[in-house]
Amino acid sequence: MKSRSKVTSALIGIMTTALMLGACSDEKVAVNGNVSERTVVIGGLYDITGGTGDVGTPYAEGEQAYFKYLASKGGVEGISLELKGKDYAYEIPEAQKIYQELRDKEKVSAVLGWGTGDTEALRQQVANDKLPFFSASYSESLKNLDESPYNFLVAASYSDQGRSALKWIKDNHKGSNPTVALLYNDTAFGRSPIEDIKAYAAEIGIEVVDEQIVDVRATEAQSQLLNMEKKNPDYAIIQETWGATATILRDANTLGIDTQFIGLNWASGEGVISIVGEDIAEGYIGILSHAMPYEDLPGMAEVKEYLEAEGKTIDDINQKFIQGWTAAKILTAGIAEAAKKHPDGDLSGEEIRSGLESLQDLDLGGLGAPVSFSAENHTGTEQTRLGIVKDGKWEPLTEYFSHKD
Amino acid sequence: MTFFLQMLVTGIVVGSIYGLVALGFVLIYRASGALNLANGEFVIIGPYICLILMTAYKIPFILALIITLVFSAILGLIVERLVIRPIQNAPVVSVIMATIGLSSLLGGAVHMIWGHQTRTFPPVFPSTPINIAGVIVTPVYLWSFIVVIVLLVLFSLFFKFSKMGIAMRAVADDRQAALSMGMSVKYVYAATWTIAAVVAAVGGVLLGNINGLSPTMSAIGLTVLPVVILGGLDSVLGAIVGGFVIGIVQNMAGGYLDPLVGGGLKDVVPFIIVLLILMLKPHGLFGSRRIERV
Amino acid sequence: MDYLVVEESKGCEVVRNLFVRESGNYKTSYSDDMKMFGTTGSKIKALLIVLIVLSLPLFVSNYWIGLITLCAISSVGAIGLNILTGFTGQISIGVGAFLGVGGYTSAILTSTLGLSFWISLPLAGIVTAIIGGLFGIPSLRLNGLYLAIATLAAQVIILFVISRWDGLTGGTAGMVLSRPTIGEFSLSSNTGYYYLCVIILLLTVMYATNLLRTRTGRAFLAVRDRDIAAQIMGINLFKYKVMAFAISSFFVGIAGALLAHYTMIVSPELYNFHVSIQYLAMILIGGLGSVFGSILGAAFITLLPVGLGSLIDILAGFMPDLYQLFSALKDFVFGAAIILFLIFEPGGLAHIWLNIKKYFRLWPFSY
Repeated sequence: MKSRSKVTSALIGIMTTALMLGACSDEKVAVNGNVSERTVVIGGLYDITGGTGDVGTPYAEGEQAYFKYLASKGGVEGISLELKGKDYAYEIPEAQKIYQELRDKEKVSAVLGWGTGDTEALRQQVANDKLPFFSASYSESLKNLDESPYNFLVAASYSDQGRSALKWIKDNHKGSNPTVALLYNDTAFGRSPIEDIKAYAAEIGIEVVDEQIVDVRATEAQSQLLNMEKKNPDYAIIQETWGATATILRDANTLGIDTQFIGLNWASGEGVISIVGEDIAEGYIGILSHAMPYEDLPGMAEVKEYLEAEGKTIDDINQKFIQGWTAAKILTAGIAEAAKKHPDGDLSGEEIRSGLESLQDLDLGGLGAPVSFSAENHTGTEQTRLGIVKDGKWEPLTEYFSHKD
Repeated sequence: MTFFLQMLVTGIVVGSIYGLVALGFVLIYRASGALNLANGEFVIIGPYICLILMTAYKIPFILALIITLVFSAILGLIVERLVIRPIQNAPVVSVIMATIGLSSLLGGAVHMIWGHQTRTFPPVFPSTPINIAGVIVTPVYLWSFIVVIVLLVLFSLFFKFSKMGIAMRAVADDRQAALSMGMSVKYVYAATWTIAAVVAAVGGVLLGNINGLSPTMSAIGLTVLPVVILGGLDSVLGAIVGGFVIGIVQNMAGGYLDPLVGGGLKDVVPFIIVLLILMLKPHGLFGSRRIERV
Repeated sequence: MDYLVVEESKGCEVVRNLFVRESGNYKTSYSDDMKMFGTTGSKIKALLIVLIVLSLPLFVSNYWIGLITLCAISSVGAIGLNILTGFTGQISIGVGAFLGVGGYTSAILTSTLGLSFWISLPLAGIVTAIIGGLFGIPSLRLNGLYLAIATLAAQVIILFVISRWDGLTGGTAGMVLSRPTIGEFSLSSNTGYYYLCVIILLLTVMYATNLLRTRTGRAFLAVRDRDIAAQIMGINLFKYKVMAFAISSFFVGIAGALLAHYTMIVSPELYNFHVSIQYLAMILIGGLGSVFGSILGAAFITLLPVGLGSLIDILAGFMPDLYQLFSALKDFVFGAAIILFLIFEPGGLAHIWLNIKKYFRLWPFSY
């Protein structure tokens, strides 16, 4: 019994230490704030160990990398930026706890978020706390400024991506009227663009003949694909993550379905090819919202400079890294604008918001479509582009374009 | 008709994977009366080892599989010795909780060692689908069907004839009585966890060959809960039959009912079956009824 | 009249030395034994705890108030679950969905129908109680793990219904709520909401502690210990099992509504299986069948990830490249903590607390 109670007390000791550490790091005073140099702390919500960790980790690395790169350049407009990010494992309650911590303990002035569910869940709170919020989820509902005055969309929304895909189908389809099916999962993320896509399809005269739900974790989707095949659509738009997309492509190949699949941005990227294999992925079309690392673009110079300093190459990163990098870059541009307007004192979330709202056609060097914000419009861009898998590599199929052009 | 047959066959082959994973649950339940909620993690650790052996050390599949199974057996032993044995006299809920802790611990370990990205097996099974009278099956699924049938036969023989198998049945039936007959219950427990870990690894390797490997794959552990309940928590036959039934019903519901309700039934229908079955047969299709004495 | 004298003399002792406690059982009547606060000492202690809890916002930062609010909300839910699992012995791994039912009921009542929060909060509890009772009916035929999985099935089905009943629940996108108001004053600040949650927690603790002292509570315990024996002794199994489900779900529903108004959103993704497991972990780590343990467990499960997160930040400060590794370490340590607790202290935190109390009762002369 004696040894047992010793272990127990040791356990309690460790737990208390852990909790004390949490308490001690509380309430730290912004030491840098008083010195001539100004600091802006930015919060980050990452998914590293959760359900979307496969894409969440490179995205988080991209964000961290950008701020590291920026620090090596001595900040921007005399401001040093600090990123305080945490893994929330794609659990919304955990995201809420971490958000509180970022707000009350780290005193952040803006937040780089991640998933659809947690972005929606925090929407009201960021509005109350006046903290600009960038999400990696491009939900159309975030465009509504009355409901989400502090959310910014840094790439084309899922709905706009879907509309662009439909527009491309309309322009490039040969033969009679094209028919489309929709494949998505039963979450806020999956359903986000569906109604808008259907409405736009009706508008431009494309018939949506079928919809199927495929779970994010599905290991087979044969019944859904066979049901879809009965309607024989020419195209199927996929709103999933890599795993389920791979399942769909593989089962379609198994069943000999010749529908042309088109994935929105999270259903495209390197991961799909590596899971499903080059042969099956060949000819798959996807939205390439951001640059692939191997594309030769002016914006890649900074990324390469960073990678060189770290002793890495472009083979160590992927498109989701670029996406995270780009989001961080846009936020930094907004902060720089805010710093020009308010040369003294700490920058508040409101000031950063107005800084972001003064961005006009911010050129990202091809890493993503150029973005503009204004007080009436937080939709950075409606432009996106399509890519196609050729010989195991994504190749751009179009330039950045808007369905409205 | 082809549509129906395709759904049926897909259901059966998917069900065989369910059956394999469910088998792990059943074996543990028979021994310790607890639900091993870390089963999903057991399922994914094996294939990771196998994958690393194959890609990093270029070991041929069969040899890699054997090493994996040995490793899984050792893992099962360690878990039993370090986690389960110290609390074997605690209430069942505590054992379940321990397995929840174990799942978090092993999940964290998998993340730490192998990271977040999805890994894919080098092609082990031919990828060209087999077409039998219009019904299409991929070879991996066919293999899992064969494996599950072989395992079913093996386990039936094992429990019927081998000394260890009989000892396991005796311990499952009445631990006190088994103890007083001079059986080493500790030994039996250790053997059970070992076998369960090995079976899980086999299921995992097959699953990994179907869809690649990622830490999120451990969710399969929960997906098969309806299977075990349907078949009866303590029946090996039940696990396998339950696997087939759930697989088939899932695909039939997906095929015929999905269009009616707007999709998404595949993941819910197993749980609806569970509730219905439990109303009619509280101990599943093949589970044994305990006689309560006061 | 006799026992009044005894009590008075004990009161004197307390004044003399707070640490000296009753050294034996001097209870001379049944009603004395049944007293919730038997001695003046325990009355003072209860009062002190209430005072500390109420004055807490004066001392600690806004961040901690937020965390403690979350602890208080989970405590209400954990006590609810403990009534079912700890008192009555029915394992439930479907708490997540019942939290959801509570949250959604309040969301629909306040946002769609425009009712006041103060009406919708109890209604959320009642609706959840009804649905909980409904899903408790199978418990008559099922026991142990079969029941546990039936509750899991209930969770999956409830969430499916919620995400499909677009017209009522807003589907997968969820619904938006607002913080409650008292007259003109909105509880949108952390402190205001903290008081609300803490008061509800105090009421819940009072109810749960009292419940154990009634016929119903004793019937629950009898059902837990041996349901057939209980039935033979004249306890209506069906009635009490369904009642346990209903009472338990009531509190879970209240917790769900509080949580929904705190985070100001409900969506099906908020109430997944992971949440159910967390609640189960709370009562197991806290101590099955212990009201105080439920609170300890809720605090532990809510705060441990936060503490580990800070620890990881400190580690990552030294080795920033290993951030990913450390994130996974959080899961690893969390799992290890649960296992170690079960092995070395199966009675849970409540038992450790008792041991500490016992130790200090005779301190410094423990032998």
